[in-house]
Amino acid sequence: MNTFRQRFFGNPRVIGGLAWLGLVIMVAIAAPLLSPHHPFEIVAQPFLIPSVEHPFGTDSLGRSIWAGLVHGARTTLVIAILATLASVAFGTLVGALAGYFGGWVDDGLMRLTEFFQTIPSFIFAIVLVAILTPSATSLIVAIAVVSWPPIARVVRGEVLSVKAREYVQAAVLVGQEDMAILFRQVLPNTLSPLIVTGSLLVATAILVESALSFLGLGAPNLMSWGFMVGAGRSFLRDAWWLVTIPGVAILLTVLSINLVGEGLNDALNPRLSDL
Amino acid sequence: MKFTRRRFAGMAGALLAGLGFAAGATAQEQGGTLVMIVQPEPPSLASYLSTSGPIGMVTSKIYDGLLEYDTELQPQPGLAESWEISPDGKSITFKLRQGVKFHDGEALTSADVKFSIMNAAKVTHPRGPNTFAAVTDIETPDDHTVTLVLSEPAPYMLMAFSGYETPILPEHIFGEGDLRAHPNANNPVGSGPFVFTEWKKGQYIRLDRNPDYWKEGRPYLDRIVARFILDSSTRTAALEKGEAHFAAMGAVPFNDAKKLAENPDLTVTTRGHEMFSPVSELLLNTEREPLSDKQVRRAIAYAMQRQFIIDNIWFGYGKPATGPMSSNFAPAGLYSGDVKTYETDDGVELANRILDEAGYAKDADGVRFELMHDSLPYGQEWTRFGEYVQQQLGKIGIKVIIRQEDVARWLKRTYHDHDFDTTANYLYNLADPVIGVHRAVHSGQIKPGTVFTNGSYWSHPEVDKLLDMAKVEPDAAERSALYDQALKIVADEIPIVWIHEMNFPTVVNNQFADVIVSALGVYANFDRAHMK
Repeated sequence: MNTFRQRFFGNPRVIGGLAWLGLVIMVAIAAPLLSPHHPFEIVAQPFLIPSVEHPFGTDSLGRSIWAGLVHGARTTLVIAILATLASVAFGTLVGALAGYFGGWVDDGLMRLTEFFQTIPSFIFAIVLVAILTPSATSLIVAIAVVSWPPIARVVRGEVLSVKAREYVQAAVLVGQEDMAILFRQVLPNTLSPLIVTGSLLVATAILVESALSFLGLGAPNLMSWGFMVGAGRSFLRDAWWLVTIPGVAILLTVLSINLVGEGLNDALNPRLSDL
Repeated sequence: MKFTRRRFAGMAGALLAGLGFAAGATAQEQGGTLVMIVQPEPPSLASYLSTSGPIGMVTSKIYDGLLEYDTELQPQPGLAESWEISPDGKSITFKLRQGVKFHDGEALTSADVKFSIMNAAKVTHPRGPNTFAAVTDIETPDDHTVTLVLSEPAPYMLMAFSGYETPILPEHIFGEGDLRAHPNANNPVGSGPFVFTEWKKGQYIRLDRNPDYWKEGRPYLDRIVARFILDSSTRTAALEKGEAHFAAMGAVPFNDAKKLAENPDLTVTTRGHEMFSPVSELLLNTEREPLSDKQVRRAIAYAMQRQFIIDNIWFGYGKPATGPMSSNFAPAGLYSGDVKTYETDDGVELANRILDEAGYAKDADGVRFELMHDSLPYGQEWTRFGEYVQQQLGKIGIKVIIRQEDVARWLKRTYHDHDFDTTANYLYNLADPVIGVHRAVHSGQIKPGTVFTNGSYWSHPEVDKLLDMAKVEPDAAERSALYDQALKIVADEIPIVWIHEMNFPTVVNNQFADVIVSALGVYANFDRAHMK
């Protein structure tokens, strides 16, 4: 049987996804070096098509698309990752408590989860951002609030199955405390589906952040890819690069995360591919 | 048409225009459906309650007013066939036309006019209470005579009798029940050239020809359909394909106007906004440090490059503003651009120098102080404008943080709580400076809770005095001199940074003619519009 590493890195789709993600992360980290201009700074004539001097052209106010792309990578990634961490933390807590304790705790927490699941998530996010006033923090809160329920359900299911294993029963017998059993014995063994769901959640978070920014509900002082698409969409017929370049960036990034996420899934659950 | 007016210089012009109509009338074929794009969908059809733009675009065809106006903002006969101002200026008498009927067949009489002004315009209309403040009583000696009794001369009042601004409502319908929540609000019954027929929410409003309209042979069109199309690119496509024939006032995306103008089937005009003349502004809260300092306000005014804003945010539609008053008042003799100008090529250097001299030193990051700018939530152009303000003020050492809220919260913050540093807005000059301009700079218009008033909270006793004198001055030349003085002080003190006189592209399909025929533009009653 192959090791996890062989299965994961031997997958060409994973390599492709990782390559693009690595590039985006590097660009995001090095943004101030790659583009000394503030992304909102008016640097040249509006609507310049891509050229050597302005590699991706300029937008309707004469702002560099390259600067927007580079600084937008930062905004988009930071917001998506923080929102994902927040929703994974909260979803795991809810799912673990519900699965481990069962009974009325389970009932109560799962009804709460279902309540959140019945609200169309994107509309809910729009409402949250509108109420909280658009900013980076309110984007993170809104994305986290709408995306934790699936995590909670996945974790609950895993906890339910792990709880019945013998080593957990053994831990109960030796008198370990509930919390110790939950965090030392149960949760570490639910990690693999959690990692897969969490990684895919980053992609969803990027899409939600982009869509909110597209609608003009993004953080108004931060450049993001969704904002660039939204601001450029009325010029699609005159200046394709305003929308196309950030649009392709979103597409490739979301696709890469999905490829890596699926690669993780295949590598962590090798028996799935045999089915 | 009876010409009994005596006091109006515009009479000769009106006579000629009247003959022109008569000659044209024989040539026009009746028929056709005009599809106009109204953006966004009106919240109601109660134009006596709200001045929200889309409402008036529809109701101006249904409700006629006492007067109509030509492109030079001169009053023309409407439901009133003649009018006369008493020599002391303290009463206006209208002679109503005989035989005018509302759409339900009831006759329109002086009682309806009295009701429409005393119970609607003066009470429920957003601007009416101000416009008609001087009206103390209305006398109706017979069914066709209406006399407005005024507490002081109000020459500007004659500009407020269009069907858009002061619709004449049937008292037998709207007199019963609460006018603010009337069952006929969205089922309007007027005396205008078109009859309200159907409102399919989210899609269209249909108006059909009024066969009993008092103007012989008019209107020419059989039907007007007001369509609502949310997406701007779809609006452009609908105009290009001829699915819609007419769009005005922001319904046409600025960036698409040039492309539409090149289309041989369409005509793009900028006429028909003279009655509104919006002037865009960067509104400053002069109660707050450091915006209370005139030098800071001047520096900000210098940093704005108006032509750049017009060319790149409004795609060439507009011209730099010199103050709160639009140059559309030049023909009336009221406007003079002879004031301190802030439009220079070296504005940024000048602004930096002013701030240095005023003692606002830059810190290590090159920042003198911070301001919060609330973006006007009225669409993409205003978001871009906010971003431009952030960039330009950054160049003069003012760090700007942008906040973006929804319309309700923005209105409350700006005009109710007065809790902002800078924001943007545009001031409708309307038909007369008393109605449109005074509210921006007169200290009597510092009214927390009333929207679109003096939002900078700036007050200057001399300006107040000059504007008060201009309000009651019947002589045009005298009035003009008073405004000159007042606006010189305003430009010098610059409580609000005026940016540009906004101009809107209006698109008309070439199958139709005479759609835009007056200063009211899209807010006129379209009785002359016809197919070619």
